Amino acid sequence: MDPATIRARFQEHGFIVGEPFATALQLVLALEKPLLIEGPAGVGKTESAKTLAEVLGTRLIRLQCYEGLDALTALYEWNYPRQLLHIRLAEARGESADQQESEIFSDRFLLKRPLLEAITQDRSPVLLIDEIDRADEAFEAFLLEVLAEWQVTIPELGTIRARHKPAVILTSNRTRELSDALRRRCLFYWLPYPTLEEEVAILHARVPGVSARLARQVADVMQVLRGLDLQKAPGVAESLDWAMALMSLHRDHLDADALAQTIGCILKVREDHGVLASHREALSAAMDGPSADRGLETDFGLGTVSRPGR
Amino acid sequence: MYPFASLPDNLAAFCRVLADDHGFRIGPREVHDAIRALEVTPIGDERAVRDALRPVLGSTRDEAAVFDAAFAAFFHPRRGLGPAGRSDARPFDLRPVAARRPAPRRAVTDGPPEDAAAPERRGDEAADAMGAETGDDDREDTAAARLRARASAMDAAGPPPDLQAADAAWRQAARAFARRIEVGRARAWRPAPRGPRFDLRRTLRGSLHTGGEVLLTRWRDRPRRRPRFVVIVDGSRSMHPYVGPALRLAVALTAAAADVDVFAFSTTIRRVTSEVRLAALGLPRALPELHHAWGGGTSLGDCLTAFVRGWAERLVARRTIVIVASDGLDTGRPAVVREAMAQLHRTAAAIVWLNPLLETPGYAPTAGGMRAARPFITTLDWVQTPADLRRLAGAVRLRRW
Repeated sequence: MDPATIRARFQEHGFIVGEPFATALQLVLALEKPLLIEGPAGVGKTESAKTLAEVLGTRLIRLQCYEGLDALTALYEWNYPRQLLHIRLAEARGESADQQESEIFSDRFLLKRPLLEAITQDRSPVLLIDEIDRADEAFEAFLLEVLAEWQVTIPELGTIRARHKPAVILTSNRTRELSDALRRRCLFYWLPYPTLEEEVAILHARVPGVSARLARQVADVMQVLRGLDLQKAPGVAESLDWAMALMSLHRDHLDADALAQTIGCILKVREDHGVLASHREALSAAMDGPSADRGLETDFGLGTVSRPGR
Repeated sequence: MYPFASLPDNLAAFCRVLADDHGFRIGPREVHDAIRALEVTPIGDERAVRDALRPVLGSTRDEAAVFDAAFAAFFHPRRGLGPAGRSDARPFDLRPVAARRPAPRRAVTDGPPEDAAAPERRGDEAADAMGAETGDDDREDTAAARLRARASAMDAAGPPPDLQAADAAWRQAARAFARRIEVGRARAWRPAPRGPRFDLRRTLRGSLHTGGEVLLTRWRDRPRRRPRFVVIVDGSRSMHPYVGPALRLAVALTAAAADVDVFAFSTTIRRVTSEVRLAALGLPRALPELHHAWGGGTSLGDCLTAFVRGWAERLVARRTIVIVASDGLDTGRPAVVREAMAQLHRTAAAIVWLNPLLETPGYAPTAGGMRAARPFITTLDWVQTPADLRRLAGAVRLRRW
């Protein structure tokens, strides 16, 4: 798949990807290397993996990392209660010990956890290792081994090799520094906040029935907000929530009133409300922006606020 | 235009430039992957090539951010300079290394640190080569000029201090200190050799070895929560004589405990965990330049705020002990310090403030920054020797949750 196809297919599934990201996803499939995605909260890191699975028409297998996650929880476990029941039943039938043993350590009694599940699929699935930075360093080392070899050894069963390598997406929120070894095994992509045009496209794709004016206003305000000195800058998830909230209130455009009513959708920290209050003019400019007598193409002098990098 | 005739040679030369000049970690595997990536890329399209090489060769956000500029500089050498393969003729050498990174823009504005800074807009990264040559050039040149002006204004700033490996006495003291800090028990029950709860599942599993007869019992317990330490060291001019013990404490703690993060600040704050970690392994090394801030002035409030914004959310929790080593002399407004400290106080298990001036007879913490921070400090002390550190463990009062 070339980047253009990936973009088109992702768009069909309601996920807008830029050219660089599409290229990175193409390389995941072409080079069969894991992709490490970093970026601010709520830009769609996890969602991109879900969409990739949908686009490829395969299963998404998700491993949510957390502190204290250990290798066994990620790999496999034996179903002990079932094994015990089986032993009792087999004893009642008078089977020999050897026979029993060969039965109880078989696939039937194996509980597959995400990593083992991912390498025993008939079609190569998408393996999402979410928030890898929350797992311990020991787990990261273990993961490196699995990602390098694509095989798992279960003492009772032998070595299981992947028949089809999964497409692996790792996401990180940068809670801690990831090891160099892990970074070097992965492709890397920094997923930034979407641009104004992309955000409008995302709103249209994900919130059916949103009016062009409202979408544009929401995106405009979001651009301004992300340029402010907020503790928690709103991500794409927030703008989608917000657009839906406004629609359910039957608002077809944004004004100060509507903003005050729905502020809880976008600002999640009390201190940020104060910051917002001190930047009223910039916001009202953004809200008034795409009115009928002015064109949609300019950014109304907000460029300095919304795009500090330029 | 291009330094060599063939694509693999050019790619190898480009990788070498990235590794040598920009600190990219590129080995044979990355070069190999880059060539494979180019096999599936239309190599006539410069933008596509850049998009394909960036994920393969870059492995951090900073690297991804400088990649485009490095790419343009290598494949479109400016000002009629010769091939970029030769070290004396590389176009990037015209500008100081720091000016090419996103850092100077922050250094100029004294904004929030790397992690908290607003991310690059996608359009910025994907700016085509022409845009990169014209627009970026101006911006970076002015940024570099401002950086130079700033650097000369700070002639008094000393070199970054050396990090020494901690000796045995410090390490033992740090281990004893870390062990004495009790931040409660984890919520989940885990297998343990002995504990208050019987582990039926594992006992039954164990009984498989003895033919289904239970001979050995297994237990569960809630393990001790591991404390996390965040050490924030003030590297400003007034702290110059005292920064040695503070850094030794940081190195020793890093060697002794599992979760330690170290930050250094004066006018801006910076995470130095990886450098300290190497020092803890016995590889003495100099600390990185703090944007010309080692031995510079202090903006305590701004730096604490930057820490709270950028890192505290993820690093500071109920099991976190925040250790600040600073004399509390601040050039900013005390209200900013108060706000940041209040935020830390709400989330951390304890805030230990190490103030070297406490050693001075007759000193009272009445300076603006110190007075603002005072109500939120759990323990105010100073650590000069390993013995002080052992004593400190007894003095730290943790917040009960």
